[in-house]
Amino acid sequence: MQKGKSAKKQKKIKKSSKVMFLFTLPTVFLYTMFFSITMIIGVYYSFTNWNGISKDYKMVGFKNYITVLKDGRFRNALGFNVVYTILLVAFIIFLSLLIALALNKVTRFSTFFRSIFFIPAVISMVTVGLIWNELFYRAVPLLGQFLGIEWLKTSLLGNPKLAIVGILIVNLWQGCAIPTVLFLAGLQSVPKDLLEAAKIDGANSWKRFTNVTIPYIIPILNMVIITQAKAGFTIFDYIKVMTNGGPGQSTEAIGLLIYRHAINEGKFSRSVAESMILFVIVGAISILALKLTSNKQVGE
Amino acid sequence: MKMKKIKSFKLLKILAYIILFVGIITILFPFYLTIITAFKTPQESSVSFFAFPNSLYWDNFINVFKKAHYFMFFGNSIIITVISVCVILIIVPLCSYAIARNMKKKYYKIIYTYIIIGIFIPFQVIMIPLVKYLSDLHLSNMMGLILMHITLASSVGVFLLVNYIRTIPRDMEEAAVMDGCTTLQAYFKIVVPLLKPMLATIFVMNALWVWNDFQMPLLILNQSPDMWTLPLFQFNFKSQYTYDYNMAFSSYLIAMVPVMIVYATSQKYIVSGLTQGAVKS
Repeated sequence: MQKGKSAKKQKKIKKSSKVMFLFTLPTVFLYTMFFSITMIIGVYYSFTNWNGISKDYKMVGFKNYITVLKDGRFRNALGFNVVYTILLVAFIIFLSLLIALALNKVTRFSTFFRSIFFIPAVISMVTVGLIWNELFYRAVPLLGQFLGIEWLKTSLLGNPKLAIVGILIVNLWQGCAIPTVLFLAGLQSVPKDLLEAAKIDGANSWKRFTNVTIPYIIPILNMVIITQAKAGFTIFDYIKVMTNGGPGQSTEAIGLLIYRHAINEGKFSRSVAESMILFVIVGAISILALKLTSNKQVGE
Repeated sequence: MKMKKIKSFKLLKILAYIILFVGIITILFPFYLTIITAFKTPQESSVSFFAFPNSLYWDNFINVFKKAHYFMFFGNSIIITVISVCVILIIVPLCSYAIARNMKKKYYKIIYTYIIIGIFIPFQVIMIPLVKYLSDLHLSNMMGLILMHITLASSVGVFLLVNYIRTIPRDMEEAAVMDGCTTLQAYFKIVVPLLKPMLATIFVMNALWVWNDFQMPLLILNQSPDMWTLPLFQFNFKSQYTYDYNMAFSSYLIAMVPVMIVYATSQKYIVSGLTQGAVKS
């Protein structure tokens, strides 16, 4: 009797582990078929001189990588991404934290404020980019004339030096929504009695903020830095829609350069080598960020 | 001393309201301009860009519907979003469940790491080989786009769900299986109801992402106008009708309306879905 039962159990476990294996198949199949294989194809082509159309091509070793690393246009694009990412991360943190602190302070209308601030997060980047594009051409110059500010009188996006600022403004307008809600949740997780105790001990608002509040929001800060850094290095939609890399090549980010080289300029294998370099950069940033975060948590 | 403290507290509060007020104006002003411009004639807009329209001029909208097949693009976006999200919600939780319950076995450990790696690889790394690969497979169409959305959603989805499922005790499913349920029955009857909060997060994240995605449709569908999605339509519409910006604005407005309606009706879920998704990945 006992033996029969355990045999039955054995059979069930065996059957169940078969079913479990079947459960994983659709996802693993799609992921392999459309992600891993695509990636492998990419790595392969990055070592060839294929232009994307012709029938024959040959292996050229690391030639594409060397060309890319020597290419002024690639370095220009990389420089754009680095500057843009630093500005994006800094401003997103500053503005979202500012709005979150303000939201945390007010009692009246706070739900209303919050729902308005979140709206941009649900609209597509294309719509946002297109609307702002028109505003930069038609509304902002009027404002510049009214205020008598010279550099605002023409579209920011038409100015090689300021186009990056124009794109950043649009990105901030839309990109602060989610970090704001995250920071607000972090601020609300700070124990009230801890703040009270600090107050009684004579700490002013600034001291309370830096010594009590900040440690509570460090995990969120790390996360915002990682996600925004990734967004900055892979920016594409806004630029494609608003400046298409111009004026000149002043806003040609790596993503757009890869796209143009492959789709418009027939430099297929070279563009793939560029994307592999982008992969190494983003991977390095993610790993570095993760290492830093885990160290912080241990230290706490 | 006390007076001073109260005063500084009040000042901070006033400052907070000022910041929020400026913020709200910054957020809403572009919407205001979009709406009024969409309802104005080009003549009216050239007189004053900021003023309210004299009367509602509906022709811009009629033109968008007539000249561009808005409903077709809307339909394409709906089909792509609904199918992608449904499949994601079926296959990703199944896979995550199997992984979470068999973490000690080698196969599951390996596929977990294998799928998670995708989180660190930006889409732009695979985008160019993808165009070639999909066209070789005859998948440069809506089907291909749907398959890609499902594939790219799996990394974050598996990561979120596996960590969530591991916190759920397994006694209940085991008892159900002993009582004669099959593994599949136990999964649907016992596990899925417990997963609801995380499934809602995954639903919101992916629905908005697929609906708003631009880069992938641009790469895969741009050659075939009858398969365009709404973002792709807007992008191409702008380059076709640059001279008539009032009409352009009405097209932006029309494209925003569906998502705004959904946001207005289920704001709570959307906010928590998007932020939860961000926190945990």
